[in-house]
Amino acid sequence: MTRTRQLLAALLSLALLATACTTDDDGATDPTGGATGDGTAATGDPIVIAAIFDLSGATADVGVPFADGAKAYVEWLNANGGVNGRPIELLSQDYQYDVANAEQLYSQYQSQGAVAFSGWGTADTEALRTSITEDMVPFSSASYAETLADPAETPYNFVPAATYSQQMRIALRHIADASGGENAQVALFHHDSPFGLSPLEDGRQYITDNDLDITLEAHAMPGGATDYFGELSQAQDAEYIIVQNVPSLTAQLARDIQSQGLDATLLCLNWCADEVLVELAGDAANGALGILPFAPPSQATGDLSAVESYLADKGQTLDDINLHFTQGWYQFSVIVEGIRHALDQGLELTGSNIKTALEDMPPLETPVTTAIDFTAESHAGMQSVRVYEVQDGSWVGITDAITP
Amino acid sequence: MAAISTGVHHRSYRSELRLRHANAEHVRLAIAIALLVVLPFLASPFWLTVANQVGIAVVGAIGLNILTGYTGQISLGQGGFLAVGAYTSGLLVARMGVPTGVAVVVAVLTTAAVGAFFGLPALRLKGLYLAIATLASQFIILWVVRNWTVVTGGVDSLVVPRPALGDAVLRTDFAWYWVIGIVAAVCVVVSRNLFRTGIGRAFMAIRDHDIAAEAMGVDVVRYKVLAFALSSGFVGLAGALTAHYRTIVTFERFTLEVSILYLAMIIVGGLGSTLGSILGATFMIVLPALITQAGQSLQGSFLARQLPAIQLGVFGLVIVLFLIFEPRGLARMWQRTKDYFRLWPFRY
Repeated sequence: MTRTRQLLAALLSLALLATACTTDDDGATDPTGGATGDGTAATGDPIVIAAIFDLSGATADVGVPFADGAKAYVEWLNANGGVNGRPIELLSQDYQYDVANAEQLYSQYQSQGAVAFSGWGTADTEALRTSITEDMVPFSSASYAETLADPAETPYNFVPAATYSQQMRIALRHIADASGGENAQVALFHHDSPFGLSPLEDGRQYITDNDLDITLEAHAMPGGATDYFGELSQAQDAEYIIVQNVPSLTAQLARDIQSQGLDATLLCLNWCADEVLVELAGDAANGALGILPFAPPSQATGDLSAVESYLADKGQTLDDINLHFTQGWYQFSVIVEGIRHALDQGLELTGSNIKTALEDMPPLETPVTTAIDFTAESHAGMQSVRVYEVQDGSWVGITDAITP
Repeated sequence: MAAISTGVHHRSYRSELRLRHANAEHVRLAIAIALLVVLPFLASPFWLTVANQVGIAVVGAIGLNILTGYTGQISLGQGGFLAVGAYTSGLLVARMGVPTGVAVVVAVLTTAAVGAFFGLPALRLKGLYLAIATLASQFIILWVVRNWTVVTGGVDSLVVPRPALGDAVLRTDFAWYWVIGIVAAVCVVVSRNLFRTGIGRAFMAIRDHDIAAEAMGVDVVRYKVLAFALSSGFVGLAGALTAHYRTIVTFERFTLEVSILYLAMIIVGGLGSTLGSILGATFMIVLPALITQAGQSLQGSFLARQLPAIQLGVFGLVIVLFLIFEPRGLARMWQRTKDYFRLWPFRY
């Protein structure tokens, strides 16, 4: 082994380690210790909740603010009395939207005594389905696929937001009302994955069941594409383009629609209807419609003082966060409220008790959603959502909550 | 000394054909078996799942080693063949109620047939070109899985009921450990024996110099296709085991990353060696698990937040370091360790 080879090997190792250690912090708030709420800090037996977030994978653009919101909620809660005096111990990690990572983290956190699990993507929530049923672990994820809200199939998964299928129905109802009885040509542009295809069949069923005069066609948006001219040329006469995808790719689609001079109105389902879309698409996003189960902070229908006080302690305001932050915050609060309900009834914190508590809980009101209510027959918590429109660079509600 | 294995004296052909000759080899094997038998009783649930994953990966790595290590045919289609095995076995059990054992056998044979088909380009291509051709098989198979909705259910995940023998359902990791362990042990023995037969020697001749092998009378066409078929059979077995162990089959489990992971396993373990497949599979699966566990103890610190990036970085670093310092892999390192003790105090 010559000196040169040794030197080269050492330099290579350092370079590789350096790339591994670069931060991917994109300015999002990162709660570290030292919570300073004006309530009493929680002491007592910690309640262990596990979570996996996508901070650097395929859906990181929405995953990062969501994770920040969830962690912020836990920090705020622990500084303000916890759950009946008990703090939440949050075990979490970035799993990079990789199913194998998700499974490994799940089994690890199980062995560390997590009583509930917050997942993220459709792929891993599907893959963990049988495990969470057998292990009886209450699970809530950012996958709002309707198949995951059926207690007969997945008794331990809870979907706090309106499912993709429900959002699709609301979108189709709104389009039908706006068309006033005339035929509407609608195209669904979706992510090329189970997440993307989730609302399609239920959308078609809704059109048939309600005899709506809508022609619906689906087009997959291939991953890695630099533009969508090809797909748009196949959807030339679409009046509405419903999009089930992440904001960065939807922004590209919006700009392509604008550059082609097409007459279509964009209608985004929840994951692409956010501030990131508006920021990336610029004026191409003006006039776009959206179904936002979690309202933007500026359109909140309730009191956001908890979030504001937390942000104020970090020297920030509501203008510094986007709707995924409050989404993460309030979505996480749903599981925690279920745990609180179980404790209030004097039940031991087991999986099945928390599940029953979530089902028996009275409807949960949050400042940014309609009431969230689970029953033993359905774990889809939200049935109605408002439709929003991008006006002058921000989302504004244009209808009341629509129940399809 | 018992550690010295030179001067082993055979008096019959039968004793010469044994897999292990010296007492030292028998003792090492006994120790290894004892450790494997004791492991499930001592390991935590997390490490037991890791052990099961290692067992399945060993089967897959042995398959790939037969193809790449012994026959010299580079293949990037591992993920696709795992998917074929998993879906065949899963669909037979879930849709048609076939007993699990039969379904697994059918899956092995189906994957072998599919592998033989995708191995046909190997008759004309070598090296990098063959790698790209087998990469095509990875994408084609996944495309078929996603679009042949009538059979595979398309992008929806497939739920496979757990294998049951009467009332006893194979559910716990502890029970699976024994099943996977026995299957892996059988595969190891089969693979070791394969390379003492004429078929195995033909494979190695093709790897070393296929034109000379042809000149010597080895039917290169037949043996190349056979190598793909045999290798894919093992990989299909690993896929079928994955389907039954995990009970949920989705195409997202069998992407290109998996193919590269298996290649990394046999490179790190040592090409052309069954022990290399075992060591490589263990190393590449245990390493990320160790890093994740280390991350838990550093929860909340700077390092913990960079953990996934560190995992990726270490993955690449390990491959590069092995290629620089020990291109013949962990198997060679083990051989050198044994030689050190065998020849001590001499150097060679």
